[in-house]
Amino acid sequence: MRARNVIVAMMAVFTLMSAAYAYQQFSQCRFIESRLENAPIPDDVGAKTEYFFARLKYPNIEHGPPANWLYPQPDPWTYGRPDFWLRRGHWQVDYPKAERTFMKGVQRLTRLHARTMEEVVDLDSDNIMNFPWIYAVEAGHWDLPQHQADKLREYLLKGGFLMCDDFHGTFDWSIFTASMKRVFPDRAITDIPNPDAIFHTLYDLDDRYQVPGAVMCFTHLTHEYDGYEAKWRAIRDDNGRIMVAICHNVDLGDAWEHADHPDYPERYSALAYRIGLNYIIYAMTH
Amino acid sequence: MFEFLFKYPGTVFSKGDFVLLGAWPVWVMLLLLVVGAVVIGFQAWQMRERAAGRARGLRLALIWILQSALFALVLLLLWQPAMSIASLKPQQNIVAVMVDDSRSMALAEQGKTRKDRVTEALQSGLLDQLGKKFQVRTYRFSSSLERIEKLDKLTAGGNASRIGENLSTVAAESSTLPIGAIVLMSDGADNTGGVDLDTIGMLRRLRIPVHTVGVGREKFDRDVEITDVQVARRALPDSRLSAQVTLKQRGLSGSKTRVLIKNEGKVLAGLDIALKPEGTLQTEIVAFQSGTAGLKNLQISVEPIQGEENPNNNGVTRLLNVQNTKPHVLYIEGEPKWDFKFIRRAIEEDRTVQLSTLLSTTQNKTYTQGPNAQQLSVGFPAKVEEMFQYQGIIIGGVEASYLTVTQLELLKQFVDRRGGGVLFTAGRGGLNEGGWGKSSVADLLPLALPDRKATFHRDPANVELTAAGRESLICRLEEDPDKNVERWKKLPHLADFQEAGIPKPGALVLVDALPTSKGRFPLLTIQNYGRGRVGVLATQGTWRWQMQQPLADKSHEMFWQQLMRWMVSETPGRLVASTPKSVYADETKVSFRAEVRDRNYLPMTDAKVTANILGPAGVAEQVELAPDPVTPGTFTGSWTAEKLGAYVAEILAKRGEEEAGRDVLNFRREDGVAENFGAEQNRELLEKLASESGGKYYKIDDLKKLPEEISYSEAGITIRETKDLWDMPAVFLLLLTLRGAEWLLRRRWGVV
Repeated sequence: MRARNVIVAMMAVFTLMSAAYAYQQFSQCRFIESRLENAPIPDDVGAKTEYFFARLKYPNIEHGPPANWLYPQPDPWTYGRPDFWLRRGHWQVDYPKAERTFMKGVQRLTRLHARTMEEVVDLDSDNIMNFPWIYAVEAGHWDLPQHQADKLREYLLKGGFLMCDDFHGTFDWSIFTASMKRVFPDRAITDIPNPDAIFHTLYDLDDRYQVPGAVMCFTHLTHEYDGYEAKWRAIRDDNGRIMVAICHNVDLGDAWEHADHPDYPERYSALAYRIGLNYIIYAMTH
Repeated sequence: MFEFLFKYPGTVFSKGDFVLLGAWPVWVMLLLLVVGAVVIGFQAWQMRERAAGRARGLRLALIWILQSALFALVLLLLWQPAMSIASLKPQQNIVAVMVDDSRSMALAEQGKTRKDRVTEALQSGLLDQLGKKFQVRTYRFSSSLERIEKLDKLTAGGNASRIGENLSTVAAESSTLPIGAIVLMSDGADNTGGVDLDTIGMLRRLRIPVHTVGVGREKFDRDVEITDVQVARRALPDSRLSAQVTLKQRGLSGSKTRVLIKNEGKVLAGLDIALKPEGTLQTEIVAFQSGTAGLKNLQISVEPIQGEENPNNNGVTRLLNVQNTKPHVLYIEGEPKWDFKFIRRAIEEDRTVQLSTLLSTTQNKTYTQGPNAQQLSVGFPAKVEEMFQYQGIIIGGVEASYLTVTQLELLKQFVDRRGGGVLFTAGRGGLNEGGWGKSSVADLLPLALPDRKATFHRDPANVELTAAGRESLICRLEEDPDKNVERWKKLPHLADFQEAGIPKPGALVLVDALPTSKGRFPLLTIQNYGRGRVGVLATQGTWRWQMQQPLADKSHEMFWQQLMRWMVSETPGRLVASTPKSVYADETKVSFRAEVRDRNYLPMTDAKVTANILGPAGVAEQVELAPDPVTPGTFTGSWTAEKLGAYVAEILAKRGEEEAGRDVLNFRREDGVAENFGAEQNRELLEKLASESGGKYYKIDDLKKLPEEISYSEAGITIRETKDLWDMPAVFLLLLTLRGAEWLLRRRWGVV
């Protein structure tokens, strides 16, 4: 009896400790997804500047990963409610805190005349031509109709620059390339070698590493799905200049968004800032 | 009539000296004249009392004047007035008859050529009459002079009428021959420089009168002629150039034709024009592309119009050397901006211009690109040899204080001494926002920048060409000038603009910015400064022309490429050589001029400069150029190009063994061209030549008096004649008139 009581007590203690640990872990990793309606409006909302962070609003694919997808759903807030991002739109992931936080760094670290308030552009109007640098998040979920693909191609060939970020693994890649093939059926997507100017415009970034999203706090992994290795890829124009910079298997948007979060490792935000700054300066010099 | 009244031809009075042959001195005559006038005046005063008031005031004075004039005339006649004039001694002098035998004399007018009309005039008595008084030598002349015995030697086939040179040759014979006068029969159509002052001076010194006989019509009925073509002699490949074609016309006002520019038969450009009213010189600007590197033989012509009398004067040839050089532009920018990227792209697309850039990305970092990226990584050039290696510099939105005092001074010398091009653009740190208006290089700027801040506005602005911009090649996006104006109006608005101030005298505003808010500001303004050029583009927002127009549109690229070519194409090297012309039509003397500068672009006076000339049929000669005593660093020389064809001259300057610079010139020799131009009779030239030398101008149809008037000359062997004037009918008529007038007036007034 006594031994039984001891075992029960030990189990109770273990259960309590496990629960306490689990609670501790959960509470430490409480990253609240940024939402426009909750974000304070920056002071420079109406400022006329040279550079604007322009976020691309694109149509989603209308389904998630296939049923036999081998990899666990990593994000309890999103894939726990599979219709959440479909309704809100994947283009809004990290919006608007990611860019507003990032742009403060741009203002502080460069001579670029920029404001923290972003612009949202789509491929249905010519307004996009006023913003020669655009950012597409979770491009592994986009589904560009042909007329938008045509517009994007025209935009890029005129001199526009697209930075794609935060999509992971082979499934997202297949979705990304399906739309990109509509934009450039014949242009190859290639890895960017270290000596390329884009890694040296402002910072020398020969030593890059995978920048995980906030989900790392739960999974303790820097990768998502089967995106084990950070890929820095590009589509170039006829003169070898990068038109589309593709950040695959990394989540720079989260690293910008949570740069001020005590639980998000600083080293990831630091690299994300440097990558973002280099890409902007590259787009304004090439 | 003149001779009837005055007894002698006008030449006697114009050339002779007035003398009084009377034995008594002239002062006696004058004394008597005064005494006579007083006496006559006294008598007239007494008449006043007798006439009982009928002769007073003006009437009395008039009678006194008429009586005194009559008295003076009688006194003058008593002193025996006469003209003293030198005249040629019969049969002891030579009269040279020079007949123009150039190609323009073959032009037919009213069924006869000019040559035939001269022959006819000489054979119908002129030569015979001259022969009675003088020995006559007949010459034909064109580019050279030849004595002929018979007029059938005239061919009207000479390439040019060198009137001045040939007159000098004949006049020079007077040292051994008693040449009394020259008769020059010509249309005066001399396209080789006319008659120079030296020749006129020589004729006056030798006192040989040149009597000119004008042949040919002074005005064609229907003709178009190219009088001048101005076109660059050097250019970069694929540059947009313009030819300034000046033409005149007779009898074809309002006619439509076309100006063409061809190279080896291939049409490079054409412009439809309507001819302006007669009497006005019409200038047309035709834009064309220079094409690939190499020597171009441009044929610039006006298409002949039906019924044109002389279509041979509708075209000229010019040489264009399209050089395979790659001028280098340095672009410094104070902050990342979109125009920086798009300007880079536009210039990189132009394979003939190199671009190196220095961009200030952060407070302490720069990003450099281009061939000189490594050199620029230490900053903006601070040494002469570093800065002067460029042909053009763009100063973007960077503050003047970013440059040191030395760098600012070098920038000024880059334009003034080096002859480079500098373009200032707008921005938060550009123009007056960057303190350039109060900097030491403010003189360079073509505008007086506003003396205040907050001049840079990120507001949309449309653009519009000014009158000067319509003519400028920098702004030529369309060949057709009117379409070009419309295209500029339709360009997307600029992303921003800057108030750039007031243009300085001599500056040209090519484009205005029209902000959608209000106002009008100079957008693109240029001026020459020293040996170089400076421009201000008061915006950093031209990138919208690229992003907001269809992909195939090249407005942005063309504008920037043309602006860069304006900046750099005329930036000289250390040695700049030139010849006055690229095509020597019926001329053989070629002058060379070379400006030599040292590494600091200061005039180099101790260089040895030679011209190595290669020409047709194996011509290979070396000419040493001599320093110009007036202009330091300038060397000149001349050479005779006898053979027809294309020549190339490499001008090389050396200081000791060190090469100080080299340049290559091209020129061409042609014959039989000059005579096609200015084919109307140049009466002005012939009259001037005659009056300056003491001769007279005659029309070919009116040569009756020539044999008589030619006698009066001070050249050759002369005698002095005096011609009495007292018995001139005009004197008798004057006597009668004076006396008769007095009688009539007194009778009318009742004054006896």
